[in-house]
Amino acid sequence: MLRKLISLSFFFIALFISYPASAMLSLELTRGVAGAIPIAIAPFALQDNSSTTDVSDIITNDLQNSGRFKVYGRHALTVVPSSLAEVQSNYFHRLGADDLVIGKMKAVGAGRFQVSFQLIDIVNGQQTLSSQNVILNRSYTVSSDELRTLAHHISDLIYQQLTGIRGIFSTKLAYVVVQRPDNAPAQYTLEVSDQDGYNPQPLLTSPDPIMSPAWSPNGKQLAYVSFENQRASIYIQNVENGSRYLLSQFPGINGAPAWSPNGKKIAVVLSKSGSPNIYVMDIGSHKLTQYTNDWYINTEPAWSPDSRFLLFTSNRSGGPQIYQITLASGNVSRVSYEGDYNARPSFTSDGSRISFIHRESEAYQIAIQDLDTSALRILTNAGKDNDSPSMAPNGSMILYDTIYNGRSVLAMVSTDGRVQIRLPARNGEAQDPAWSPYIS
Amino acid sequence: MNWNKWFRTALIGGSIVLLAACHSMHKNSYDPNAVNDANAAYNNGNGVQTAGLHRTGNFNDQVNRNGRSSTLVSNRIYYFDFDSNIVHDSDKPAIAANANYLIAHPNAKILLEGHTDPRGSREYNIGLGERRAKAVAELLRANGVSPSQIRIISYGAEKLALQGHTESAYEKDRRSVIAFLQS
Repeated sequence: MLRKLISLSFFFIALFISYPASAMLSLELTRGVAGAIPIAIAPFALQDNSSTTDVSDIITNDLQNSGRFKVYGRHALTVVPSSLAEVQSNYFHRLGADDLVIGKMKAVGAGRFQVSFQLIDIVNGQQTLSSQNVILNRSYTVSSDELRTLAHHISDLIYQQLTGIRGIFSTKLAYVVVQRPDNAPAQYTLEVSDQDGYNPQPLLTSPDPIMSPAWSPNGKQLAYVSFENQRASIYIQNVENGSRYLLSQFPGINGAPAWSPNGKKIAVVLSKSGSPNIYVMDIGSHKLTQYTNDWYINTEPAWSPDSRFLLFTSNRSGGPQIYQITLASGNVSRVSYEGDYNARPSFTSDGSRISFIHRESEAYQIAIQDLDTSALRILTNAGKDNDSPSMAPNGSMILYDTIYNGRSVLAMVSTDGRVQIRLPARNGEAQDPAWSPYIS
Repeated sequence: MNWNKWFRTALIGGSIVLLAACHSMHKNSYDPNAVNDANAAYNNGNGVQTAGLHRTGNFNDQVNRNGRSSTLVSNRIYYFDFDSNIVHDSDKPAIAANANYLIAHPNAKILLEGHTDPRGSREYNIGLGERRAKAVAELLRANGVSPSQIRIISYGAEKLALQGHTESAYEKDRRSVIAFLQS
């Protein structure tokens, strides 16, 4: 009887801690680029059926969903070469592919796999291809649980080779999932997933709101705001081992943490003076330097890549607008002028442009502004509630949340506005996302 | 004297009644269920449900002693216009009544929540929500409540009253709520 009770309670524990193994978010490309690079990706030859993870399928999805490739994958190909000698370039010419990816995968024992791939230039190829046409040729031995990570790494290599831009397929997303079960309190979960929404891992679960996750520059820590115990506090959590410590719990608002590019300081918003103001905290000493000191709302600090400036949102002129602090002098200048609502700014990785929320015709859109010309461009065109923009480390895409079919979902838009992707949560609502830096 | 004896009896009897009342009030004050009920009143029912403190007898005594209105004391949710932190005049009597309760119960403590509708930037909304909570706090202080009885928290748009994305839902989202931490 006792045994039965114990096993029953284990069942319930397992029920509660079990976490969906499949993707929390599923990626849907809603708009791609005209004139995308045509590439064929042959299914990798699998020596035995020992692996359930298909590396070539993951590469196909990565490149397809980047919006910058037209991918001929498993379903488009009737010829599936796995070595250079087997490649009939005529077939791929007719298909219209400029490049071809082939590969092999075999079990080498102890749950490990050897994966090799080649990226082959077809467009400049002759009837018979030679090793001259092989642009990339790599081989790896990894454990089975590293196959997804390896696939994203291969996607990064191919992307960089063919576009000249560093790929972001190995990066991570942090975001907050809100579950609102019927007749039960809401539950907030801080999650981290792969950039394609797979492999979601909970970092913090709370009955109280969690917001504003911010990655440390080395991608090993997350700062966030938690309202546990009915106080707004900023914590720093180690992403790998889950340990965390309290950074800031002053009376009032403790919000909008933003790491300095060298990871030694965090800009925060505190209202201990009576209204929200911008401070920079030295993480080692907890020493505070105050940069705004007034009775307006000053919030959402964002560092320039060279650490010389902080952007922030302030309503000192009426509605919220973007301002910039020169840290050396403390001088503040206004950056946004178009429209009556501009908030949540962040720099592109080269510091030449800033993205933010821009309200136009009652709709909140993600916009990007060139700092030299002040030209503003609205990137999103669907929905009225686009919020929380976060820049990809290569500056190519912006991650944000939006209302889709009445629920908050994550979405991405390229900084040229041409690629749009939606990542709907399987259950609950996903919101307040932060794109990780490069994790190498 | 008969009258004197009657008066003395009445005085003693009245004292006992008063003591009993005080005792029950004291008991109620530290009854965690009562506090939980009070806090649950706005957590349940999507935040639009209001509920009393379950001891209006004592409450009315306190309010009447100050010679002020005892109406609307159970109303602890105050709504705001779009992008505004101006308290509606219609909410001021309820805020004054809650102020009187807090003055009469110096051990009582409240959490004053500020909320916004979900539109726009999350952290900017935290700032707006704090302004709303502070506007109510200012009225409580102006009515004589000690600042030590008030703690302010802004949830911005993170704890919506209603999940819909309609103007009628937004009207219920833009609010400040008095939650009793200790009655």
